[in-house]
Amino acid sequence: MPSHPVHQLDQPILDVRHLTVRYGESIALEDITFHLHAGERIAVVGPNGAGKSTLFKVIAGVIRPTAGEVRIYGSHPSHHVCIGYVPQRSQVEWRFPVTVEDVVMMGRVARIGLLRRPGREDRQRVRQALETVGLAEMADRPIQALSGGQQQRMFIARALAQEAELLLMDEPLNGLDIPSQEGILALLDTLREQGVTLMVATHDLDQAARFFDRVMLLNRRLIGFGAPSDVFSQERLQRAYGGRLKIVQSENEQIALGDTCCQEPSFYEPF
Amino acid sequence: MLRRSLLMILLVFSLLASACGAASAPGGEGKLLVVATMPVVSDVVRQVGGDFVHVETLLPIGSDVHQYVPRPQDSVMVSKARLIFAHGAGLETFLEPILENAGAKDRLIEVARDVPLIKFEGAESEHQGEHQGEHQGEQQGEQQAMHEHEHEHDFDPHTWFDPNNVMIWADTIAEALSQADPSHASVYRKNAEAYKAQLKELDAWIREQVAPIPPERRKLVTDHRAYGYFAQRYGFEQIGAVLPSFSTEAAPSAQELAALEQAIRSYGVPVIFVEEIGNRALAEQVARDTGVRLVQLYHDLGPAGSEADTYLKFMRYNVTQIVQGLK
Amino acid sequence: MNLSELLLSPFAYPFMFRALLAALIVSTVCAVIGSYVVLRGMAFFGDALAHTLLPGVALGYLLSGANREALFWWALGTSILASLGIGALTCSARLREDTAIGIVFAGMFALGIALISTVRSYAVDLSHFLFGDVLGVSEAALWRMAIFGGVVLLLVFLLYKEFLVISFDPVLAATLRLPTRHLENLFLILIAISVAVALQTVGVALMVAMLITPATTAYLLTHRLPAMMGLATIFAIFSSLIGLYLSYYLGIASGAAIVLVSTLLFAMVFLLRRNER
Repeated sequence: MPSHPVHQLDQPILDVRHLTVRYGESIALEDITFHLHAGERIAVVGPNGAGKSTLFKVIAGVIRPTAGEVRIYGSHPSHHVCIGYVPQRSQVEWRFPVTVEDVVMMGRVARIGLLRRPGREDRQRVRQALETVGLAEMADRPIQALSGGQQQRMFIARALAQEAELLLMDEPLNGLDIPSQEGILALLDTLREQGVTLMVATHDLDQAARFFDRVMLLNRRLIGFGAPSDVFSQERLQRAYGGRLKIVQSENEQIALGDTCCQEPSFYEPF
Repeated sequence: MLRRSLLMILLVFSLLASACGAASAPGGEGKLLVVATMPVVSDVVRQVGGDFVHVETLLPIGSDVHQYVPRPQDSVMVSKARLIFAHGAGLETFLEPILENAGAKDRLIEVARDVPLIKFEGAESEHQGEHQGEHQGEQQGEQQAMHEHEHEHDFDPHTWFDPNNVMIWADTIAEALSQADPSHASVYRKNAEAYKAQLKELDAWIREQVAPIPPERRKLVTDHRAYGYFAQRYGFEQIGAVLPSFSTEAAPSAQELAALEQAIRSYGVPVIFVEEIGNRALAEQVARDTGVRLVQLYHDLGPAGSEADTYLKFMRYNVTQIVQGLK
Repeated sequence: MNLSELLLSPFAYPFMFRALLAALIVSTVCAVIGSYVVLRGMAFFGDALAHTLLPGVALGYLLSGANREALFWWALGTSILASLGIGALTCSARLREDTAIGIVFAGMFALGIALISTVRSYAVDLSHFLFGDVLGVSEAALWRMAIFGGVVLLLVFLLYKEFLVISFDPVLAATLRLPTRHLENLFLILIAISVAVALQTVGVALMVAMLITPATTAYLLTHRLPAMMGLATIFAIFSSLIGLYLSYYLGIASGAAIVLVSTLLFAMVFLLRRNER
């Protein structure tokens, strides 16, 4: 296994400059520039097809950008194994014959190394991760048996086992009931305590505003990035959502009704 | 781009069409054009037809008549020929559709038509030995009843392994040629008689060759059951075959293979006779397992210039190999 | 005949014993690799691969004759090339995966038939090779099967967790910086080798059954991949054994008998498990 690059800790954990991603004729992301510091908690919002998943996959090093660059602690993403990715639940093959523990252990594969079996330290980290997310009793159960909230927590545990420092979560709260959502959000606090930097894609503008330090408003271009009150201005929201957002003025506040149905089309193209 | 592709396709098609058209070869110089299916049939037809007949053969040398798949050119040849000489006795299963398409059923002559056929009994050995005469009489009677060619796949089609049968072929051929071309009828008759004399000589030679082989060594193990007529005529016994059938299309079951190995061991057979067709690898396996060796025979004529390019040479070669193998 | 005679007597014949060993090797290798094929939805790929071998083997037959050993190497080479080729085709996003595979499969099979038809002294030996001839397995062939089958099993064992990750979550594989493309290609090569090894036992037409039926039966019974592979192997070996017995005592073709038993087993498990999962 190639040795992992040294994290230049004075650099931002994530530095994106003029990132453009094009698929044939269509542009998924255009000229995105921003940076994150370690420990931050960012929500990424935007309509379907805004490029949220694409952004995450470029950061994770899965997709190559057409132009621009991405740096993790000063170096190119492809050398880092500290980036965790929690997929949309609909993209996962839930009938795969693996247990919760198997999936969490998958996060350790890079650390275990080629041709080696999991060792004591690996098993310990997996156990710890499961305890942190509250799935210790489910360790031996097949993943098919998990509820929506448990599925999310399993992937978070996997990222913990992976020792991820930057965690990208693709719409983790989709389709979960309120108690499960709150459980996940509570876990995000725990992650922050462990020093994990978070980027969470979500449709829920309200949650974004309430639970995150900064929000990123994305629709192919970076429409806004900063404190929620700044970013969620009427003008910016209109630019991002176009006709798909109804903004209703009530006495003291704006209520924005967004387009939250349907899956974001997947542009995933492995290379 | 599209126009160019279309032009290309049209060009290719017209080339193919002209090639098909050009493949016609008339009898030439007033000869009677006939078609024969197998090389061995072809050879005998040539012997009887002589200079007045031009014979085209469907099967190339070395192909397997049991599994032959016809080509479009075969249909063309059949439709142009005056007569089609096939072996018959259910051997050329591919011929029926071609004849129908060419409307040539009335031009078909099966050379083995008058040969007394051996019926498939389902038993492993055809113990014809000393009871030749008796059986022949029986079969001749049966033969008349079966003249309508029903259930032909139940008969052993390998009549050419006994030259006496080929003598009957010669008569059938002469008759057919005479009917199609009466002006040369006397020539055909004369040729047939001359050839039959040669076949009689061959028969005597074979008897002489096999005489020294003691009865307990007259056991034939072959690639497929092709030697029924030979065994019947010359006092041998087919005790087993790798492909347990008259055709090479068969695949043996495990039990049949086991029985074959058992038979080889119990009779102390020293060789397995294989041909240019059939399952060589399987025969090699059996030979290796039982410690016997393989001896190559011909199922049909060999290529021009080889030791088996005429029927007479073919039989002489095979018999020599059999005798040497079993001595 | 008492039971032990019934069970043991067929294998007194060397060809039956070799057939048994061949069937055992093929069962194990196909069951293990087949587990992945089933989970990754690659059954069509597996079938296509078996058919795509035909032109390569036909070419080998034209150039090397009916030599079984040569034909094995031709089959192996063609298999690997075809596997990687179809894999590359399915990566290109212009066509849907099943149509791309289907076109290659049919085209290659037709090419094979065209090649064979040019050999007018027909290729009977070739048809045996393509439709299975487990009773004609030689000792040399057995060694080849054992060695290559062993290599496949060894690599699956050594790279178990890597194959698991690329099969279950390719994005995770990418974030873990696993050499995904190399692993994918290696996986395709392992399938190709398995197909070449299994070819003589069941032939082209029934190949896909060896890959998917025991694995699918096992899938119905377990939630863990190692157990699935183990059960698949047991089912496959059981089917081979019973199939060979049926072939011996009833006189039916061995390859077909094995696949029929395997399918019957699947049907039983499926019906028993109908209400669960």
